[in-house]
Amino acid sequence: MEILLQLVYSGIALGMIYAVIAFGYQLTFATSDTLNFGQGEALMLGALVGLTLVDTMGVNYWVAVPIVCLFGFIQGAFVERVGVRPAIKIKSEFGWIMSTIALGIIFKNVAENIWGRDDLRFPSPLDESPLKVLGANVLPMELLVIAGAILMMLAVEFFNRKTIYGKAVVATFNDRDAAKLMGINTGLVITFSYALSSLTAAFAGILIAPLTLTGATMGSVLGLKAFAVAIIGGLTSGLGIVVGGILLGIAETTTGFYISTGYKDVPGLVLLLLVLAVRPAGLFGKTAIKKV
Amino acid sequence: MLKINNLHAGYGKVHVLQGISIEVPKGKVVTLIGSNGAGKTTTMRAISGMIKPLAGEITLANQRIDGMESNEIAKRGLAHSPEGRRVFATMTVTDNLLLGAFPRLTGSRPKGNVPADLERALELFPRLKERREQLAGTLSGGEQQMLAMARAVMLNPEVILLDEPSMGLAPILVEEVFKIISRLKSEGVTMLLVEQFAAAALNVADYGYVLENGSITVHGPAKDLLHDPAVAAAYLGGSH
Amino acid sequence: MLCFALAVAVPVITPNPYYIHLVETIMIYSILLFGLDIVVGYTGQVSLGHAGLFGIGAYTTGVLLTKLGLSFWLAVPFSVLVTAVFGAILAMPALKVSGPYLAMVTLAFGTIIQILINEMTFVTEGPMGIKLNKPEIFNIKLNEEQFYWLVCVFLALSLIVVHRILKSHLGRAFEALRGSPVASDCMGVSVYRYKVYAFVISAGLAGLAGSLYAYSEQYISPNTYNFELTVLFLLAIIMGGRKTRSGAIIGATIIVLLPKLLDDIELFQWISTLLAVGICLSAVIAVVKKWTSVQSTLTPVIGTVCLSLFSFQLESITDWRLSIFGLMILFVVYYLQDGIVGFVVKLKSFTKPAEENNAQVLHTTSTSEWSTARSLHSSGSDSGELILEASSILMQFGGLKAINQVDLRVQQGHIHGLIGPNGSGKSTMMNVLTGIYTPTQGQIKFKNSSIIGQTSSSIALSGIARTFQNVQLFGEMTVLQNVLVGLHHSFKSSFLDVCFNTKRYQLEDHVANEQAHSLLNFVGLGALHNELARNLPYGKQRLLEIARALALDPALLLLDEPAAGLTAPDIVELTQIIQKIRDHGVTLILIEHHMDLVMSICDTVSVLDFGQKIAEGKPLQVQADPKVVEAYLGGSSPAIA
Repeated sequence: MEILLQLVYSGIALGMIYAVIAFGYQLTFATSDTLNFGQGEALMLGALVGLTLVDTMGVNYWVAVPIVCLFGFIQGAFVERVGVRPAIKIKSEFGWIMSTIALGIIFKNVAENIWGRDDLRFPSPLDESPLKVLGANVLPMELLVIAGAILMMLAVEFFNRKTIYGKAVVATFNDRDAAKLMGINTGLVITFSYALSSLTAAFAGILIAPLTLTGATMGSVLGLKAFAVAIIGGLTSGLGIVVGGILLGIAETTTGFYISTGYKDVPGLVLLLLVLAVRPAGLFGKTAIKKV
Repeated sequence: MLKINNLHAGYGKVHVLQGISIEVPKGKVVTLIGSNGAGKTTTMRAISGMIKPLAGEITLANQRIDGMESNEIAKRGLAHSPEGRRVFATMTVTDNLLLGAFPRLTGSRPKGNVPADLERALELFPRLKERREQLAGTLSGGEQQMLAMARAVMLNPEVILLDEPSMGLAPILVEEVFKIISRLKSEGVTMLLVEQFAAAALNVADYGYVLENGSITVHGPAKDLLHDPAVAAAYLGGSH
Repeated sequence: MLCFALAVAVPVITPNPYYIHLVETIMIYSILLFGLDIVVGYTGQVSLGHAGLFGIGAYTTGVLLTKLGLSFWLAVPFSVLVTAVFGAILAMPALKVSGPYLAMVTLAFGTIIQILINEMTFVTEGPMGIKLNKPEIFNIKLNEEQFYWLVCVFLALSLIVVHRILKSHLGRAFEALRGSPVASDCMGVSVYRYKVYAFVISAGLAGLAGSLYAYSEQYISPNTYNFELTVLFLLAIIMGGRKTRSGAIIGATIIVLLPKLLDDIELFQWISTLLAVGICLSAVIAVVKKWTSVQSTLTPVIGTVCLSLFSFQLESITDWRLSIFGLMILFVVYYLQDGIVGFVVKLKSFTKPAEENNAQVLHTTSTSEWSTARSLHSSGSDSGELILEASSILMQFGGLKAINQVDLRVQQGHIHGLIGPNGSGKSTMMNVLTGIYTPTQGQIKFKNSSIIGQTSSSIALSGIARTFQNVQLFGEMTVLQNVLVGLHHSFKSSFLDVCFNTKRYQLEDHVANEQAHSLLNFVGLGALHNELARNLPYGKQRLLEIARALALDPALLLLDEPAAGLTAPDIVELTQIIQKIRDHGVTLILIEHHMDLVMSICDTVSVLDFGQKIAEGKPLQVQADPKVVEAYLGGSSPAIA
C-alpha cells in the first residue's frame, strides 16, 4: 500500500511534467494549428543550460530558473521564425512538421556535441531526503515539480484571462481574421505562442533535471509522452491535459514497477490509440464544427 | 474621410469588383446597396485589408491604405464590423468589447477613457448590457450582430464599416439596429453601411451607391434613391 | 521511369559484394519508399513511424524463420500481412480527425516498437539480435548474386503494382482526398477510408521491404529501426520528389550513400565546398534572370558557405551527421519542395517552351452524350411522389439558430428553388442535406428512408449529389480525372483486381472513361478533357462540377449558386443544361440569387429568411408575395408596385 502510494506520488510528479510540455503544444496549436515537434528538445536545452549555469558557473538555482525561461522564450521565437512561419506562408502541414523535427534534431545534435553524449547529474537545490506524506515517501523535489508545473499553467491562464495581450491571444485562437480587424498583429501572436511554449518546456526541463538524468537524449521521449497526454486530454483543454498527464504518469510508474521497467512506455501508446479511437477530441476536448 | 478610387478586387479567378469609386465624407453615412453576389462584402473586405485589391486606391484621412494588413488599417482608425458577426465565441461580451479597443489599450491609438466608453457602448446596446459576462458564442444571432457593431464602436474610429448589420435578424431587431445607427449618425460618426435591405439603409443614410455585378450603376442622395425604380430592379430582377 | 529501374538492375557487372549489397539496399529502401510516397506524396499525411513498420517486417521474418522454421515463401507474405495489420491498427484511430495526429501517433509507435523489440527478448532476442541465412528457393540456397536478382524481381513487381494502384481509381481517390476533402466525401469517396487504405498499403510495402532486408543483412537488431531511419526515409521522399517512382529511387540512393559520405571528412569538405560554389553560381544566375530576388537567395548562399567553412574546422563529421540531416530537411522543405525530380522537370519546362497538353487531344473523345439508364430511379417526372422530405429541421450552432423549424418537401422530377437573403440558412440547409452537418433536431427522408446521421459519402452513394458555392474541384487533376472521381462508385473491382490488372478491372476502367467523356460532352467540356482543372476559366469550372456530380448517377442533384459569377451567355447555357438534366429524370434543388434564372426554370420555390421558411409556391406567386418582397428589400419600401 505504501509502495502504491509512492508510485502514485511519483506518477503525479511525472505526469505534471508531461502536462507542462503538452500545455506548450496546446499554446501553439490553439493559435496557429501547428505545434513544435521539437518541444522535447526545448526541454532538454533548458535543462542543460540550467546545468551549465548552476554547475559550471555557480549560479544559484533559483536565479537560474528565470534565466532558463528567458532562454526558452528566445529559442521558441527562433523556431517559429525559421521553421514555422515560412511553412504557414506556403500553407504546408508537411512543412512545419518536418522543419520543427529538423530543428529538434539539430538542437539535439548540437547539444550532444557541446555537453557530450553521457547523462549528467544535476545537483538538487532541495534536500534529497524524502518526506512522508500520508505514510509514503515523496521527494521534496517532486513536490517542487508539481507546484512549479501548476504555477506555470496558472500563470499562463491568468495572463490569458486578465491581461489585454492574453485576451488578444485568445481572440487570435477564436478567429484570426476578426482578431486582425481589431488591430491585433496575429503573426506576432503566433511567434509569441511559440516563445511561450518553449519557455514552459525549458522551465519544465530545469524543474525535472534534478530528478532524472540530464542529457542530450532526455527530451525526445518526454516530448513523445507529452503528445500522448495532449491527445488523451484534448488539444484544446487545459484541464484535460492535467488529468491526462496524471493518468499517464501513474499508469507508467505502476506498469514500470509491477510489470517491468521496459514496458513502462507502453501504456502511453495504448491509451493514445484508445482515446483516438473512442473520443478523438480527447477526454475533455470539444469537436470543432467545420464550415463549408 | 474615406475615398475609394477605381477599385478592382476579387477572389482567385473571380474578378468581382470592376473599378468602383466611392466617397465617404466625414460625419456622413453612406450606404452601398445591391443584390447578393453584387460585390458589397468584397468591397468591405478590400477596404479593411482582409483581401488585397487588384488595382485602385483607397485612402483614409488622406493616407493610402490599400494593400496594408488589416491590423495596420485598424490602427489607423478604420473599424470593421464584418459580415457574419465574427465575435470571439469563447470570450465574454465585455472582453469582446475591450478587444475592440485593443489599439487604444496598447498605444497605437489615443487612449481616451476606455471604461467610460465601455459603459456608453452598453447603454447604446441594452441587450448586451444585460449579458455583459455571458460568453459571446451563446448569444443569439441578433445579439451577436449587436456585439460586433458595439465592438467596432469601441475603437473610437474615424470610420466604421458596417457589413450587412441586419443579416439574419428578425424585423424587430432590424428596427433596433437601424435606430442605433441613427443615433450614431446624430453623434457625428462617419459610417459606410453595406446592406441588402435597401429601404432601411436609404432611410438612414445621407448618400447611396447601388452596386450591380461589380459596378456602380446608380448613385445619389439617399432620399432620391428611395423612390428610384432602378433600385428595385437591381434587387428583384427585371420582371415586375 | 521504367528504364530507370532496369538500368539499376543491370550493374551486377561488378561482382564486388560490397557494391552488390549497396545497390540491394537501395532497391529495398525503394520498395518501402514507394509505399511511403503514397501516404506522404499522394494523401499528404506525415508518417513518423515507417522505420518501426520496417522493423516489424524484418522481425516477423526473423522470428518466423528462427522460431518456426518457415520457408521464404511463407515468411515474406506473412510479414507483409502482419505489418499491414499494424498499419491498420495505427491508422484507423489516428486518421479519424484531421490534423497532425497521424504524425504524433506514428512517432510514438516507432519509439515504442523499438523499445518493445528490445524488451521482448523471449521472442526477439532483444539487443542480441537475430541471425538469418539467405533463403532457400526450391532447395537451392541462394548466394549473394542470386538473392540480388530476387530483390530486383521484387522491386519490379512492387513498381508495377504501385504504378497500377496509382493509375487506377484508387490513386485518383488518394489525390482527390488531398485536393478537396469535402468534395471527395460528397462524391462518395470517403476521405477517412481511403487515408486508411493508403497507410495500410504503405505498411504492407514496408513489411515486404523489411522482410527482404532481414535476408539481405542476415542480421537484425533493434537499433537499426530508429527515428533517424524514419527521418531518412522522409528526407528521401521529399528530396527525390513526391508522386514519382523515380523520385523514390533517387531518394533511396541518396540516403544509402549519404552516411558513407558523411563518414569521410575529406570527401565531405570537397562536396560542401562544391555545393557552396554551385549554390552561389545558381543564385547569381537566378537573380540575373529575375527568377528570384536577392533577398531570398541570401539564406542558402550564406548557409552553404558557412557549412563549407565549418567543415574545414572539423576532425570528423560523424558527430554532426544528424545536424546535416536536419539542415538538409530544412533546405528541401523550403527550397526544393518538388524534390530533385520536380526541379529537373521545372528546368525542362523553362528551357523548352511548354508543349501544350492540347497536343494530346487524343483517341476517344466519344461524341456520345450522357444519357443515364434510369432503371433504378423511376422515370415519369409526373408522379408527384416526394423524393425528399425534411421535417422540422433545427440546426443550432451555440446560440445561433441557423435553421429554425424548416420543412422541405421536394417532388420527384421537379426543379425546386431555394432562395432567401444572405444568412437565411440556404447553404446550411445544403450542408445538412448532404451530411456535412448533422441537424440538431429533425427528420430527413430520402426516397423514404432516413439519412440523418449518415456520412456524406454514404449519402452521396445513395443518390444525392451536389455542387459547391465556392468551387471545390480537384485542382491538380485533369478535367477528365475529376469526373472519373465522381464515377468512383462504379468500380466494383477489388484491390487485387487492380494489382493484377484483371479483365474485370480493365473493362470497368474502359466503361468509366467512356461514361466520363459522355458526361463532359453533355456539359460542353468534351474538348478540354485533358486540361488541369485549376486552369479552366471560372464558368467552365462550374460546369465541370456539375458533370462530376452527375457522374454519381444521382436521383437528386443539389446546385449551390451555380450561376454565381457567370456572364449572361453562360447563364443561358446553364439554364439549358439544368433543363436537360431534369429531362433525364433527375430532381434538382437550386439555390440561387439570380432571380431571372430561378423564375424561369423552377417548378416550386421555397423562400428562407432568418432560418425560417416564409413562403413557398410557384415562382410567380412567391415573387409577388409581400413577405418575400419585404425580406429582400426591407420594410416600408414604396419602390415595389
